[in-house]
Amino acid sequence: MKALLIGEYREGKLLESSYELFGFAQQLGAETALLLVGSDSQLPAFGGTLYLADANQCGEYNPDLHKQLVLDAVQKENPDYVVFLHSSYGWDLAPRVAAKLKVAQVSEAIGLTDGGFEVGCCNAKMRRTVKPTTAKAVITIQAGAFPGLQPGGTPQVQKITASVESNVSFSGYEPAEAKDVDLTRAEVIVTAGRGVGKKENVPVIAALAKALGGELGASRPVVDAGWVEHSHQVGTTGQTVSPKLYIACGVSGAIQHLAGMKKSDFIVAINKDKDAPIGEVADVLVVADVLQFVPALTAKM
Amino acid sequence: MLIVVCIKQVPDTTQVQIDPVTNTLVREGIPFIVNPYDTHALEEALRLKDQFGYRVAALSMGPPNAEATLKKALALGVDRAILLSDRVFGGADTLATSNVLAAAIRKLHDEFDRVGLVLCGKQTIDGDTAQVGPGIASRLNFRQLTLVDRIVNLDPVGRKIRVSRKLEGRHEIVETPLPAMLTVVRELNRPRYPKVPMRLAAAEAIVEVWNNQVLKLDEQSIGLKGSPTWVSKIFSPERAKGEILGDGYGDPEGTAQLLVGRLLSQDLLAL
Repeated sequence: MKALLIGEYREGKLLESSYELFGFAQQLGAETALLLVGSDSQLPAFGGTLYLADANQCGEYNPDLHKQLVLDAVQKENPDYVVFLHSSYGWDLAPRVAAKLKVAQVSEAIGLTDGGFEVGCCNAKMRRTVKPTTAKAVITIQAGAFPGLQPGGTPQVQKITASVESNVSFSGYEPAEAKDVDLTRAEVIVTAGRGVGKKENVPVIAALAKALGGELGASRPVVDAGWVEHSHQVGTTGQTVSPKLYIACGVSGAIQHLAGMKKSDFIVAINKDKDAPIGEVADVLVVADVLQFVPALTAKM
Repeated sequence: MLIVVCIKQVPDTTQVQIDPVTNTLVREGIPFIVNPYDTHALEEALRLKDQFGYRVAALSMGPPNAEATLKKALALGVDRAILLSDRVFGGADTLATSNVLAAAIRKLHDEFDRVGLVLCGKQTIDGDTAQVGPGIASRLNFRQLTLVDRIVNLDPVGRKIRVSRKLEGRHEIVETPLPAMLTVVRELNRPRYPKVPMRLAAAEAIVEVWNNQVLKLDEQSIGLKGSPTWVSKIFSPERAKGEILGDGYGDPEGTAQLLVGRLLSQDLLAL
């Protein structure tokens, strides 16, 4: 079995998460080849074939051109799986490749079970095992779901290029809006989830954060509802955090949220539902009414 | 020019519960909603209609009761609402779904009005695959722009669109000729609410239903037969492995004290 892994560079640097592709391939038991659009100044420690295109020529992202690079490598390697990270890059490129190859795609795999790929559904309340039935398949893997693995060695570099007329012209990057809080540096984060009920209850959670000298975090539904500013959002569409103490209040634990906080050192979940997915990553679970319990806790600080 | 918006009726996943005995999804009584991301796609189409006078058609593939979803689109002001519904469409994965939606868009293009834009939500909240929009783009050979958080400019004369795509920690500004398929994120806009007269009119308005007699797709390319992925198992994640502390309902005070003790023992207070 063989997997063609599509790593990622950003602003000239190999993304650390690219090593998670190797962790995935190891669990799959697949031989690997790697494709990167980057530069030879920073090559990964990997002893296999590395298809390397120059980001200066091919652009950090140019959909039609990058698609062609992947398709060329697929033709040479004839892999069973083409594996991307479920980043904005993989998000956009993987379905293009799958459509061109006329093969199945599995999005955001988080595990391998029963000869299939485990993915989340219904806001992480459920999981499902998906099996591709085509000879090849395109897979994207969720950030943080598989351990980073440095295979070691020196790659056999094959320089590649493609000339494709692109229909999408790139005119530049703009920085994301300035964040008024930097949760990535916080040592304590107390997060409000949908279980807080309404906007007027958010100060109850903020008070605990303040009492602990920490920052207020928020889950996506809470931000989407306009209860808390987006800059406080934890999760794959917000900030990825790893504080010493993380207290999730009324957060059920969508996969995207768990991916953004599960590396915290100590996790406390306060939730009315003892079976909520947040319990999977929590060190301690308090089954309680958030609005009753949190003020009681704050009062003891 | 016609703008097509693809919308899906999904279970409100915030209200989905798991049956503790059978460990399966409880489907009874779960309300259906319009996939939240699709509401932003719909809003953007309506804004372009307000600004440029384009026509807007809403498409949805689903069972007959998905008509309710399209009624909502009519109440907001779309010109046509078409439900793609047929037993042979059932059991479709993302690829078979995009075959049906693409065929319907092509039919609208050929028989109604030239399609310049297709708008979709960035993903659905039940399936989470983010594949259907790109699948439609590939099948129609439309330009694909995913994760759009702003339409910077739409040039109706030069037939070009310039958008901002929301990437990790930055935005990418790109431009492409029409026709294009956009998948959109929530930051794009704030959806409007239907006005009462529109809502009343929508109750009378007709949702067209197209089955496969209309679309005439090869049955090998649709439904279960046209789906190259199959779901072997649906299950609930393993039960909470965190230790349950005290009795948070019966004795919040005592449990709070237990938690403080635990945090102190872990050296987690006064950080």
